[in-house]
Amino acid sequence: MGRGFNQLLDSVVRIDVREVDYDGGARRFQASIGSGVLLSSDGLVLTNAHVASPRAVEITITLASLERVGARLVGWDHWTDLALLRLDMGEVRRRRLKLTHGEFGDSDRLFPGETVYAVGTPFGLTRTVTRGIISNSNRYFEDDNGVNGYETGAFNTWLQTDAAINPGNSGGPLVTEDGRIVGITSRGYLGANNLGFAIPANVAKGIVAGLVQTGTITRSYVGIVPKALQDFEGFYALALDTGMLIDSVDPGSPAARAGLLGGDVLLAINGRKVDGRFPEQLPPIQNLIASQPVGSVLVLTLKRGTRVSDASVVTERLESSMGEESVLDAWGLSVRKVSRTFARENQLPDDTGVLVIGIHPGFPADAAGIQAGDLVTKINEKPLTSIDVVNQAQAAYAAKPGPTLLETVRDRRVSLYILKP
Amino acid sequence: MMPVSGRRAAALFIILAAACRMRGADIPALLAERVRSVVAVEYFTETESERRTTVAYGTVIDDRGTIILPPGAIDGHVPPAQLKDFKVFVPGDPSNGAGTYLGQDAYTGWHFVRADEKIRERLVPVTRFAAARHAPVPVLGDEVWGIGLRPLEEDFMPYYLGSHLALVQSLPQLTGEAQQEVAGPGLPVFNRDGVLVGLGLNSGGQPYVLYSQANRGGAPVYLVDVEESSLFLLAGEVLPYLNRIPGRVDGRPLAWLGADGLAPMDRDVADFLKLGGHSGAVVSEVLEGSPAERAGMKDHDIIIAIDGSPLPVFRPTRYVTEYVDREVERRRPGDVMTLTVLRGSERLTLMATLGDQPTLIREAKRKYFDRIGFTAREFVYGDAVDRRTRVVNSAGVIVHYVKPNTPASIAGLEPDDWIKDIDGVAVRSFADAVDKLSAIEFDPLRSEFVLLVSRGGDTAVLHVKLK
Repeated sequence: MGRGFNQLLDSVVRIDVREVDYDGGARRFQASIGSGVLLSSDGLVLTNAHVASPRAVEITITLASLERVGARLVGWDHWTDLALLRLDMGEVRRRRLKLTHGEFGDSDRLFPGETVYAVGTPFGLTRTVTRGIISNSNRYFEDDNGVNGYETGAFNTWLQTDAAINPGNSGGPLVTEDGRIVGITSRGYLGANNLGFAIPANVAKGIVAGLVQTGTITRSYVGIVPKALQDFEGFYALALDTGMLIDSVDPGSPAARAGLLGGDVLLAINGRKVDGRFPEQLPPIQNLIASQPVGSVLVLTLKRGTRVSDASVVTERLESSMGEESVLDAWGLSVRKVSRTFARENQLPDDTGVLVIGIHPGFPADAAGIQAGDLVTKINEKPLTSIDVVNQAQAAYAAKPGPTLLETVRDRRVSLYILKP
Repeated sequence: MMPVSGRRAAALFIILAAACRMRGADIPALLAERVRSVVAVEYFTETESERRTTVAYGTVIDDRGTIILPPGAIDGHVPPAQLKDFKVFVPGDPSNGAGTYLGQDAYTGWHFVRADEKIRERLVPVTRFAAARHAPVPVLGDEVWGIGLRPLEEDFMPYYLGSHLALVQSLPQLTGEAQQEVAGPGLPVFNRDGVLVGLGLNSGGQPYVLYSQANRGGAPVYLVDVEESSLFLLAGEVLPYLNRIPGRVDGRPLAWLGADGLAPMDRDVADFLKLGGHSGAVVSEVLEGSPAERAGMKDHDIIIAIDGSPLPVFRPTRYVTEYVDREVERRRPGDVMTLTVLRGSERLTLMATLGDQPTLIREAKRKYFDRIGFTAREFVYGDAVDRRTRVVNSAGVIVHYVKPNTPASIAGLEPDDWIKDIDGVAVRSFADAVDKLSAIEFDPLRSEFVLLVSRGGDTAVLHVKLK
């Protein structure tokens, strides 16, 4: 192994995270371990979004020198399962800690069979190196709740490797023999033998740049659900390698307002031809839409029956179905705000309300009969338009406990409950 | 309390014991007479893929061989045309006679079956054992007894079940609970003199905690006895309704209000709304075009009175929703129902003229396509409600059944999918869909077609390959 590889080893860190857990109707903390890689001399550490998220309350980094330093979250992006941390540089300087950082390679040049190494902290075993090959350099994998309940995978394909990946490897680098980072190890199939997945470095580079700049990744949304055209070309009278099938159009989305329908074929975006014949080709097309600035006008060329026409859509900001979460300790209730996406996916009339995600046994919400999965739409007749409304109502109750009326919906059935001290 | 001298207590005991023995001797005779009001009914439910047998117990109610079966004896969602080969068994006798299904009554929930001539003469209506005027109301501690039936292999041999009345509750009908099992579900219950006092209901679940060396208990499990029950409707809830024999197998006419998703208002909520002591039912949704909508009812109104009478208070409060449902089912289309509702702090009186229940799913037309491998069903009112779509916009058909390993199932078609387009052309009606699908089904040269289906608000394009 050369100098590059040794330098890379010195840039891999262990990450200990303590994060708040909202699920049980009470504020609880849980600890987890992941891996990461130092990217710069000013203390940027790249890891997975499922290792460090906004729920983290304490992040501790163990450097290759075994010294421990605190860190904070710069930003995260669950869609690509990436998060960026920054070391406490004041502490680094005070303790005169030496930082070594890794360098990205070009993940587009990887080929199946190429030797790669995964470095990380599997099961807490710090600085473990495993070896394997690239099994597939263009794996399609999408999951609607793959990153602690958040969506992932719609905008990128993944690297697949047979290098041993275990829990705790998450966020560590996948590197070539010269020590270049070609991927960020993210997930494996449990119970399978050596089926591991990593985010390609060329995807990570863009996300890192975006997170450094604004702390967040903003994407555009038009509301079309794609499907590979494979096998449908004959029916739609299309040449091979032309167009992408629209499987569904989200109700109320820009695409729906522009009159798009499930069964339409998307031929081009702003005049640029699209080819969605195979599932692996869908993420780049989705990313082409997502990477436009929010509010852009896109001209979509569509084929419906024999007719080809253009439709203009104005993009909106992409939103997760996971809304903001809160714990209402006095009631023993943890809730998540209904987002527009959640409302649409669950055919709710609008985004009013909070979803009950946890109940603390024996507390007022439990005593009243509220259950996880209930949607609370009103408190004392006031519609819950934001998480603040809920938090304020709970604060008022905590200050002066008294009977409080909750209106809930479960399976479309409206019920009334009283919370009382 | 005064102490009772030992000798006097002993004397009383001897007299009581003698009386019991004397009267107990006639139980076999009473049972032999009354068992003629009891039958077992077997029928088949025939679907695209299977033929399923069900056995239920029934009570004979008249001289024409009419039998009532309890509400749960037949799944109300199954189209009557799929219910086949009703057989009526006399307890203890392997022979049987044919029966005809007459339909379900919405108010009582009973299913009515009529036994053929051959078996009819062996039956005696249970009304013969009812009191001439008012049905006697048993009081707590009274002896009550009934009949259980052994399974088919034992020729439905009748046996005696006896107990004492422990509790009477309004659920919302007056329901007796005996200390132990007192009758098979759907079979009559008698008092000590053999007079009809009730009709066995399905047994309520009994909570038990499983406890063993390895399992130190935990959440209780509920065990439901399906052969015997300790619950029964009092005769006053049975006898006045025996004449509700459906005129049509579909049970119509069926009254319809259209106040959907009723939820009980509990006591704390009533207190909070300053309705202390009142009962109420929250209306989750007022259905499109329904009598409730025409009467001016709104979503989230709370019904507190019907025809001027406040809703009764039930324990548990949840029985109030069944009470309101029954108040509708008891009436006929065209009847006017006056509803007092609470909307915010306002109290309103609404006059609803009940309508005819829109076509139910069990009444929807359906057709099975064997080569494609699924059953298409007419889109009915309830489908529009389930899919939160306006009834007027609802063309298309619903997938009722998908046969495994057929072109339809391989293409990913699922039950409850709503087929909107066939080969890129919108489906206008059930007949239109049947025409299009039949053309595909019977065209030997057809190798593929495309469906656009709606599923949970999203759509999916499905490619069905026929070869």
